[in-house]
Amino acid sequence: MTDRPVPVKHNRYSAWSDSDTFVGWLFVAPFLMIWGFWFFRPFMLSLSRSFQDVNFMDLNAARFIWFGNYLDILRDPEFHEAVLHSLTIVVFAVPTQSLLALLVAIALNRKLPGRGVFRTIYSVPYIVSPIAVATVFMVLFRRNQVIVRLLSTIIQTPNVTWFADVNLALPFVILMFIWQQTGFFMIIYIAGLQGIPDDLYEAATVDGANPFQKFRYITVPSLKPVTYFVVTVGTILAFQIFDQIAAISRYGNLGSPAGATTTVITYFYQHGIRYMNIGRGSAAVVIFVLIIMAITALQKRLMAVKE
Amino acid sequence: MLVQRNDVGRVLFTYATLTFFALIFMIPLVYALYTSFLQLKDVDSIVPFRELTVDSYVRLWTSPAYSLPRWYWNTAVMTGIIIGGNLIFNTMAGYALSKLDFYGKRVIFFIILATLMIPYHIVLIPVYTTMATLGWLDTMRALTIPYMSQVLHIFLVRQFFLGVPNELLEASRLDGLSKIGAFFRIMLPLSGPALATMIILIFTGTWNSFMIPSTMVTRKEMFVLVVGLNSVKDQYFDRTNLIMAGVILTTLPVILLFLFLQKWYVQGVSTSGLKG
Repeated sequence: MTDRPVPVKHNRYSAWSDSDTFVGWLFVAPFLMIWGFWFFRPFMLSLSRSFQDVNFMDLNAARFIWFGNYLDILRDPEFHEAVLHSLTIVVFAVPTQSLLALLVAIALNRKLPGRGVFRTIYSVPYIVSPIAVATVFMVLFRRNQVIVRLLSTIIQTPNVTWFADVNLALPFVILMFIWQQTGFFMIIYIAGLQGIPDDLYEAATVDGANPFQKFRYITVPSLKPVTYFVVTVGTILAFQIFDQIAAISRYGNLGSPAGATTTVITYFYQHGIRYMNIGRGSAAVVIFVLIIMAITALQKRLMAVKE
Repeated sequence: MLVQRNDVGRVLFTYATLTFFALIFMIPLVYALYTSFLQLKDVDSIVPFRELTVDSYVRLWTSPAYSLPRWYWNTAVMTGIIIGGNLIFNTMAGYALSKLDFYGKRVIFFIILATLMIPYHIVLIPVYTTMATLGWLDTMRALTIPYMSQVLHIFLVRQFFLGVPNELLEASRLDGLSKIGAFFRIMLPLSGPALATMIILIFTGTWNSFMIPSTMVTRKEMFVLVVGLNSVKDQYFDRTNLIMAGVILTTLPVILLFLFLQKWYVQGVSTSGLKG
């Protein structure tokens, strides 16, 4: 706020340059131009090219082939593999990180001294670059390293370099993802927990409820909308995972080792950008977006049911 | 919930659990920090304090094999331009969408909500081909121009501006302030918290972004830090101390900014997260 009184200028009430319409359009113009040229136009291009046989080498030689690209993709065993990997990531990462985030959030919601420090420690992994995280994890999970040896005694995983092993590369990606995302969902859960009124718990205490009952009958139902959010956004983020996979795919061979970490995203990237098969890549990304939008719609539906 | 005497066991258990997870979350970063100060022969061993060295940093920073200063500069410029653009354009759009009433406003708001729901990946290929056609690949333009006004942050600023009382604007009009004037004299001075949130969220997002810079840039001199770190890691994976120094140099600015702006970061994540 300014300390000085606002100077009185001449009255501009009638000037067209002071109308809501002029100022409004003037002020949204920069956004609209950027959005129009760098989002809307490319968006329409992606849709139309997904129905064309078009290559980056000669964009003008495009041929309309109806659903040809889509059928090719849906029949491609590599794509099935990629979908399977994406689903695997979702199935393992989402429940783990959601549960972990909830537990940590509940612990940190108690007014314990030092909880601010813990909260900061848990949040830091999320703000760090996934490439940097992958770099450290790749070093830590090499053959004969302490962690790898420890895990081979506890859960019987072989003593190998995880990111280079066909069976362990995908779990390795999932592990890095969970390690990074938990802090983010913890912040969301803490915000949700703070929204639960204290008198609910007090009333339950008066009624003689034990901590577990309070958790089961107050905390869990009150957090339902937050949990929908955590699960759907977690699913969307897990589908979009890219950096970690690119990092372990040394020398740019996406999905390595031996295609063990291909996902829907790497499939689209590989075909659309690397192989420059724009038609196929566009169709793949449209399929991907349809999956994501279905999840988003489901989230909206679930949230609406609650209200 | 206040801590009571008979709670001591539970409090201890809570601390033990929290410490366990804190260790899991800290070890990789602490390992990176420690290893970055080691000589290559000492990697994965404990050495006395006096044997720690900054050699890896000096080497990474000065050796022409890595062009690290250049990558730092590129990353700073990219992040600076994108934050600057978003600060100006998003507050403008947020003001128009919250405090002005004009024909077409609802369509624009719908556009923003719809764009929020669509993953960015769908435009990556056409943006790439457009950049190639324009000859913008390997330039700063390819890294910044499309990202200078992001819908999520327009949405957040608009929500923030909706909370500014209309009486303030009405009073400013009585004092003869134009609508553009009210933006600069009333709205902007009030928008500190919203801007802090925007800065920290966009800073971390841009500084860490990998997919777009690694797609748009292939010339080594135009790399940003994250892309550079990835290439150094691929080439010199066995020089653990060196790549850990790279990890620290890449992540330090983000961590420092986070520690300073943590409050707004948490606020931003919570509000943007729970908007639905």
